Amino acid sequence: MASAPALPAAPGTLAVIGVLWRRSLNEVVRVRGALLPATVAPVVFLLGMSGQFSRLTGLEGFPTDSYLSWIVPLSCLQAAGFAGAATGANLARDIEQGWFDRLLVSPVPRPVLVAGPILGAITRCLVPTTVVLVVGFLLGAELTGGLLGLLALYLAATAFCAVAGLWGVFMAVIFRTQQAGPLMQQGVFVAVFLSTAYTPQALLRGWLEGAAAYNPVTYVLELGRQATVSGIEPSLANTWPGLAALGGLLACFGALAMLGLRRMGA
Amino acid sequence: MSLEPRVIAALGRRALSVQFRRAQLLMPTFVLPLMLLAVIASGTSSAQDLEGFPAVGSYLSFVLPGTIIQGALLAGLTSGIALASDIESGFFDRLLAAPVRRVSLVLGRLAGTLGLSVLQTAFFLLVALPFGARYPGGVAGLAGTVVLAAVTAVGIGGIAAAIALRTGSLSLMQSIFPFVFVLLFTAPAFFPRELLTPVLADLAVFNPLTYVVEASRGLLAGDAELGSPIAGLGASLGLAIATTALAVFALAERLRTT
Repeated sequence: MASAPALPAAPGTLAVIGVLWRRSLNEVVRVRGALLPATVAPVVFLLGMSGQFSRLTGLEGFPTDSYLSWIVPLSCLQAAGFAGAATGANLARDIEQGWFDRLLVSPVPRPVLVAGPILGAITRCLVPTTVVLVVGFLLGAELTGGLLGLLALYLAATAFCAVAGLWGVFMAVIFRTQQAGPLMQQGVFVAVFLSTAYTPQALLRGWLEGAAAYNPVTYVLELGRQATVSGIEPSLANTWPGLAALGGLLACFGALAMLGLRRMGA
Repeated sequence: MSLEPRVIAALGRRALSVQFRRAQLLMPTFVLPLMLLAVIASGTSSAQDLEGFPAVGSYLSFVLPGTIIQGALLAGLTSGIALASDIESGFFDRLLAAPVRRVSLVLGRLAGTLGLSVLQTAFFLLVALPFGARYPGGVAGLAGTVVLAAVTAVGIGGIAAAIALRTGSLSLMQSIFPFVFVLLFTAPAFFPRELLTPVLADLAVFNPLTYVVEASRGLLAGDAELGSPIAGLGASLGLAIATTALAVFALAERLRTT
């Protein structure tokens, strides 16, 4: 009796993540100028904010005399955050078009379905983050933290991109429409700006003083500022709060995204 | 050439109602400027201690004109996005077949922008009040600010409409969003002109929004030294007339080439 033909072996978890990662990167190649707004917006903010508020460094207690150096990590984080939030918009499109339903019935664990797009976002975010950095350095921002500081800045940006990506995924599986796109972007906007975005904690006034102290993004920013702010040198003391904040944010938004995905398949 | 006020009013009403039906268009225009205002007013208020910063009763009132002008920019841009959406969906082609003057189609769209800006500016002025904004310029100052913002929104709406008519592309309109901020940040939107970086201060002279922001500041504070209302009105009117002409020209070009 002839035996039934063997079924092809199911691809491994890493292979699926790799395929979904490549698929999310295809967006950059297929959509002309896909990276342009995500790159231009943070650069415009960098130039605009540094031009508007550069005199703030004259205030007593400001750790650096270069406002550009102060604002460059903020713009990097903003760029990475927007790239991450775009993961949610892309997922919402896949949900609307029914493609994600097909993925949901495939025999792979749910976290694998979002790991690929999040990795894609992290890869994409390197472009605007690097452009912002280069523009900042060309205009006079200082690399005071050397290679260690630069490493800390890229770590802050890429991990924050992953946080924003998980936030976007959560929003996408809750609303299941691309119209939630502005909500994803504005979540990042609020998180970044309710921190020590413009001035250090000591110079904040009113409600923002308290909000920034409790906002984990403040500590992520401190982590990134080790690269360019002369008063924030690379050290363990300036690093661990940022790492702890990123760990907490990843755990929190990761859990929310998984919860949403589980509800979606129910 | 006679205008068609009823057609313009009807198209303006439609433009406005479409905006209010689509929350994703309203969210950036109403919420984003307020969020930026909240953060800037609280995050940079210590700037009042800087030498050269004008004596102002309320820092929030000082930065509020920047928010109002940001709102006007976004109102203008979203009207361009809505126009591009009408073009892509084919609705604009049906309008072209209607027995109305073509210029009324542009003016109707801009009438909607004007209405949106009036509502938006009134909303910003009201929301800022309980948070400590004060308007010593009184009712005349408030009314003047609303007019300046509305005329500026028409000016930006004219540019956006011209681009939408030339390209007919919704995705392109959405991607020019960051460039709107170039106009905002090259004006003394949130800081006095004297305290901007020298390059930015030089650029600000050529940006019509500089005079609009400063005029609004002067009107709200009732202090002409902060900005001349005449210069602001001149700049916003000049912008509105020039860009409306540009949009009408773009429509004529579209009709000629399609």
